[in-house]
Amino acid sequence: MSSEGHGHTHDGSEGPGHTHGPPPGMGPPPPPPTIDPFYQAAIDEQFNPVPVTFSPEQNDMAVCQEHKKVVCEDCGLDFHELNIFTKMIAASNPIAVPAPPNVVHPGRSQAVQKAKEEGNAAYKAKNWGLAIQHYNMSANIALSRNPWEPAALMRDEMAIIICNRSATFAAAEDYISALVDADVVIQLKRPWSKGHFRKAKALLGLGRLEEARDAVMLGLQFEPDSAEMLAFKKEIEDGIEKQQEAARSPIISSSATMA
Amino acid sequence: MASIPLLVPLTYITLLIGALYTFSKVYRKRTVARIAKLERWFPAHPERDTYISLLQLSPPPSEVLLKAALLRRAAADVQRIISLRDDKTALQALLQKGSIDDDLWNAFTAAEKELEAEIVEVVNEANSFREGWGQFIFASASEVVNNVKQRDMVMAIPKLRAEAEAKYGAPKAPKLKAITPAVAVHSPPEEPKPKNVSPISLNDRLTPARSPSPLATNGSSAPSSIATMTPPPSIKTELNGYSNSSAGTSPSPSVNGDVTGSPRAKSKTPGSASKARKRK
Repeated sequence: MSSEGHGHTHDGSEGPGHTHGPPPGMGPPPPPPTIDPFYQAAIDEQFNPVPVTFSPEQNDMAVCQEHKKVVCEDCGLDFHELNIFTKMIAASNPIAVPAPPNVVHPGRSQAVQKAKEEGNAAYKAKNWGLAIQHYNMSANIALSRNPWEPAALMRDEMAIIICNRSATFAAAEDYISALVDADVVIQLKRPWSKGHFRKAKALLGLGRLEEARDAVMLGLQFEPDSAEMLAFKKEIEDGIEKQQEAARSPIISSSATMA
Repeated sequence: MASIPLLVPLTYITLLIGALYTFSKVYRKRTVARIAKLERWFPAHPERDTYISLLQLSPPPSEVLLKAALLRRAAADVQRIISLRDDKTALQALLQKGSIDDDLWNAFTAAEKELEAEIVEVVNEANSFREGWGQFIFASASEVVNNVKQRDMVMAIPKLRAEAEAKYGAPKAPKLKAITPAVAVHSPPEEPKPKNVSPISLNDRLTPARSPSPLATNGSSAPSSIATMTPPPSIKTELNGYSNSSAGTSPSPSVNGDVTGSPRAKSKTPGSASKARKRK
């Protein structure tokens, strides 16, 4: 049974400057947790070597050994995301260790907000194409966030951006894109009533009144007091009524003529 | 009283202890073999394998690459933690009802313990890169999992759009030029899905006609693995300026990490990988 819990060996290969003691002022460090050697052996036994190497020609990215490709179908390997992480970690800070989640560089959020506000301005000016461009730019920046930063930040930013984009699509009468965007907003933030509101608007634009009403009802479940939603719901229900009347009246008129 | 030679009790004691010793060894071996024979809860751990394979390379790769591999390994472990936690209550209920046999439950508990050992190992490895990283690597890893999930949602917009068009009919209004959704900064080419990606869902385990080599059969229920990020290749970023600014840095790997980095000694056994590393 080897000392599995120890982080490094004492075989004398370390220089004389290496000390074990904790920095002065700290108590003895807690002993590193030990791994049950049985499970350690199980893990070791499961090891299945992956034919990976790194290629100096491609900036030391991880590639498959045989074909030197980042994404290799023959080997069934895909190191693309690994290489992305590597780049991001290297670029993130000089120590090149992913920062803990509570450390966030504010620059990205500011850039996202700025682009989003430009989009809002274009929306107010009824310039739909430009507004969508700005929202896309803003979403691009938001997506480029380092993956180890708090996910809630990206979620909030994306939800607002995509919601605004859905509104723009709806205003431009591209209801399908509006619907897709609204669905994504709901996936990101289900309890947010605006997502359901946008979905209902898009469905209304597509002429699907019942589905629009379902979406509004779902949104009202999360926010029962929203005046906007209640007003919209009434609007949809009126629309449904009219639709049903229109469906009925030709029958009435035709039956009148028959009689 | 007849004199009994001293040898007799000694022989007796020796035989007794020998028998007990042999029995305990045999019994332990059998339990180990029994547990080892249990079907593994998780089929394979590709991120762990990648990390260890990278460690075993000589000359050793850049530290940043190793850190990235370790972070991905931690993220895969976080996904396993989540999946085990979700399955646990259901399994317990089924076990009490008697719908499943003990083997499945034993496999589950073995997987839990193995995951704990794996977590400790990851923390140790993280600390070996930088003292203290082990404390928050798993917090970072769970953020990574959530971020990747959200990113996948947004990247799936074109597919959703195609489905919606099929369902509701092509739009009457002319398509706005900017339909292309936001593209991730590093839009990869169309990639093959790696094989042992998602853990098997509980449903698949319980169906009797379970194939012995389970692969990802449950698409949507398991969270998409870190490795799959597949936006359609036809997306063009409109705003390459932004994408280049943040992705374009291709830093020389030797600058940042290796000032403090230590060459990774080649280690044959994965478990001793961290031990074999020299610390400066």
